Amino acid sequence: MPMVDMPDPLSPAGALPMLILRILQSGPLHGYALAQRIHLLSSEVLAVEEGFLYPTLQKLLRKGWVEAEWGISETNRKVRFCRQTPRGKTQLKHELSSYGRITQAIQEVLRTA
Amino acid sequence: MGELFRRIQYLINRRRLDSELQNDMEFHREMAARAGQNNFGNSLRLREQAYEAWGWSWLDQLAQDLSYAVRILIGAPGFTLMAVLVLAIGIGVNVSAFSLFDMIALKPLPVPEADRIVRLERRSPTDYTSEMAYPSFVFYREHARTISAAMAVLGVPPMHLDEDMQPTSASFVTPNYFKELGTQAAYGRLFDPTRDAASNAAPTVVLSYGVWQRRFGSDPRVVGRVIHLNGKPVTVIGVTPFALASLGGQRPDLWLPIAEQPDLIDHSTVLTDRSNSSVRMWGRLAPGVSAKAAEEELRSLTDQLRHEHPEAVWKGEFIQISPGGHLQVMQPQMYRVAGLVGVLTLLILVVSCANVGGLMLARAVARQHEIGIRIAIGAGRWRLFRQLSTESLLLGALGSVAALGLSCAVLKLALDKMDVPKWLSARPDWRVLLFTMGMTVAATLFFGLLPAFQIARQRQQKALARQILVAAQIAASSVLLIVAALLVRATQHALFTDPGFGYEQLISIDPGLGHHGYNATSARNYLNEMQSRLATLPSVKAVSLVKLPPLGHIVANSTVEVRGRKITAYPNWVAPNFFATMGMPLRLGRTFNPGEKRAVIVSESFARLQWPGENPLGQTLGDGTDKSTVIGVVGDAHMNALSDDDAVEQYWEAQPEDMPDMVLIVRSAGEPGSISAQAKSIAPNLDKSVFPEIRQLKLLYRENVAQIENIAAIVSLVGLAAVSIAAIGLVGLVAFIITQRTKEIAIRMALGARPTAVLSAVLRQFQWPLAVGLIAGSVFAAFGSKGLRVALYGVNNLDPASYAAGLVLLVLIAAMSMLLPAARALRLNIASILHHD
Repeated sequence: MPMVDMPDPLSPAGALPMLILRILQSGPLHGYALAQRIHLLSSEVLAVEEGFLYPTLQKLLRKGWVEAEWGISETNRKVRFCRQTPRGKTQLKHELSSYGRITQAIQEVLRTA
Repeated sequence: MGELFRRIQYLINRRRLDSELQNDMEFHREMAARAGQNNFGNSLRLREQAYEAWGWSWLDQLAQDLSYAVRILIGAPGFTLMAVLVLAIGIGVNVSAFSLFDMIALKPLPVPEADRIVRLERRSPTDYTSEMAYPSFVFYREHARTISAAMAVLGVPPMHLDEDMQPTSASFVTPNYFKELGTQAAYGRLFDPTRDAASNAAPTVVLSYGVWQRRFGSDPRVVGRVIHLNGKPVTVIGVTPFALASLGGQRPDLWLPIAEQPDLIDHSTVLTDRSNSSVRMWGRLAPGVSAKAAEEELRSLTDQLRHEHPEAVWKGEFIQISPGGHLQVMQPQMYRVAGLVGVLTLLILVVSCANVGGLMLARAVARQHEIGIRIAIGAGRWRLFRQLSTESLLLGALGSVAALGLSCAVLKLALDKMDVPKWLSARPDWRVLLFTMGMTVAATLFFGLLPAFQIARQRQQKALARQILVAAQIAASSVLLIVAALLVRATQHALFTDPGFGYEQLISIDPGLGHHGYNATSARNYLNEMQSRLATLPSVKAVSLVKLPPLGHIVANSTVEVRGRKITAYPNWVAPNFFATMGMPLRLGRTFNPGEKRAVIVSESFARLQWPGENPLGQTLGDGTDKSTVIGVVGDAHMNALSDDDAVEQYWEAQPEDMPDMVLIVRSAGEPGSISAQAKSIAPNLDKSVFPEIRQLKLLYRENVAQIENIAAIVSLVGLAAVSIAAIGLVGLVAFIITQRTKEIAIRMALGARPTAVLSAVLRQFQWPLAVGLIAGSVFAAFGSKGLRVALYGVNNLDPASYAAGLVLLVLIAAMSMLLPAARALRLNIASILHHD
């Protein structure tokens, strides 16, 4: 399925870029490690399929929020690592704040309606 | 911006980045397998998806579509060649027409800052003239700050060069003319404002390249030589370049400084006469000034001029500014003509596109197999449609490249044959190229969309689409043929119908007395003397006077409104025996009495229009001080608008003050040629400095008619090309249908059907498209040809003979192209067909 734009940031699918950027904040990772990290940190609730992960990574590369660099994996193999860029940092801030705003708004309605 | 940069980087390094991604995915797969998960998806599919994220998929698809289209077109060479040829003709005709328009109206003169050059003309709510008086020109030049440079051009009758029999064309210009246009002399020097402005400077002349080649043998030593014009010595100071770019496309053989005009043309008052409009004024807008601002400043200057010299300015006059940096200064009616031509050329484009569309539909049947497979494998309708459109676009592009080449060649031929300024070239400029591209897109849309829709939908409505295409071709072809027939009729009419005056035996002799400083009395004496001497010549039957001679240089008309209809009226001022001399019948009333004022004689058509059913004699024309009474009605004679049958004429008697502008009209008993030479020898005896211009009306008439002959020929050619295209299309279509229905035809004939019955069964589907096409075409031609009336020499634009001729020709050609292949089918070997399965 060709992907041009992400679905809304509230669904897990649309939140993937935000999640990736957040995780990359602590350091560059390669694709497999990213998928593992998301799976673990979400207590195995979220499982990212490679069919979704890699196109998302390409989009992040295209937008300049992430850049690729070569590194050595744990198994001593040359593989590309993704690192967050300053622009990616800014984008993460934006996404976090808008996500927070929407979530808060929804919770308010659910609470007070 | 950065994103685009990254995307381009990705595109360039595609292969490397893709293999890196593959590496990443392999690693991921290994790690997942190690953790026990073996469900890593199809790596190739994933890489495709990753690639799509970069937004370059369309490029890949385009490349695919193009290469596929090329293979398909090469695989069907007959179709491709035919389609490209037909498109080349259709688009080529349009490109040629636009190139001509571009040369005339859009291409700037090859002079510095041609877009700042403007033309200034006098205009008022009731009057319009393209010339102004020289003192007014000087006035505007001195006072206008929005015009940084002003040039004046004065046209004069041809002058006599040394001892030549034929006079040579000449033009007087202000000394800054060549400087402003940045012209470089081919030899010697050109005019210089510092040296050639004074009237007491030694008389100089600049030769044109053409006359330098023809008359002076391309001799560089002609510079400095003294030649004689009208008997006066002038020094040649230079030669203009071969590809001279002049204002208004004029090409005189001799260029002279305007200050010399009184010296060369004796007693001329052109430079000082404020009420005589004789020079054409051009100017250059000051930097940063718009034409509107200039017009406003000129308006206030005109008012100022009116205060100082009321005789130089009309009531309500203002100066109109038009762009002057092109070959022609466009008038509104020229745009109308261009529009008409544009419509005609679009018609042949319609025929071409409908034709190619039909060809594509026919091929669709042959390609059903291929397309069916593609759909079965999973091609989306949209993808299919896009690919077919790419094919059409490729075809269109090929057609337009061929069209450019064709039109270039045709234009080069035309430019070489016609006498045009040498700086024009047939090479297409950016405007023509842009136009061609636009035409290609339009044509492709027209012929490509319909079949592509049909094919992608796999609907079986092809018969209807085909019929529409056939009808469109028939309609467009019929319009072209009808218009061509009208023009051919007009040509016939022009040649064999009496225009109302016996031009075969007339000569006009224009002494241009007004330019030589004659006043009313001296002019009258000269003319009387000339008339009596001419009358003594044996072959002269009658001599008379007229102010605006037939087929002359100056045309005056005004648009009057008669009972709600706008008609063009041509006024003139004549001597009492004018009508007899011209051979114009006096239908009612009488001719002028000598010295009669306030009397007007009108043409029959005008009397009929203005006072239908009443007696025109005694009616009045005009109002206030201009009031005149009708004393006579003459036959129509469109002397200065030969082709416009709707024109009307009005004649007043020439008054004493008109005498310096009068032209002699001589009727000869037999051939008028001998009288020209005799008249030429009489003139010097009366006044050595006057060189009358003598013209035979017969020759002028032929020239005028030759123009419409050429136009009729061109339109006929285009019409026949369109019909040929349509006919060939029909032949192919009918042959195709027959091939499809061979079995059915064989069975019918085996069962005993008569040939005509079989033919009608096959061809019946064409009767509606033919009928609709013919009717639509006729209606369109009827409405559209109204604009042609002014050029048809009296042929009615609804002339039934022309319509019949055009339609009959079309029906004949269509019938032939349908019957020929069908007839072949009847000679089929029935037995073999029925056996073959």
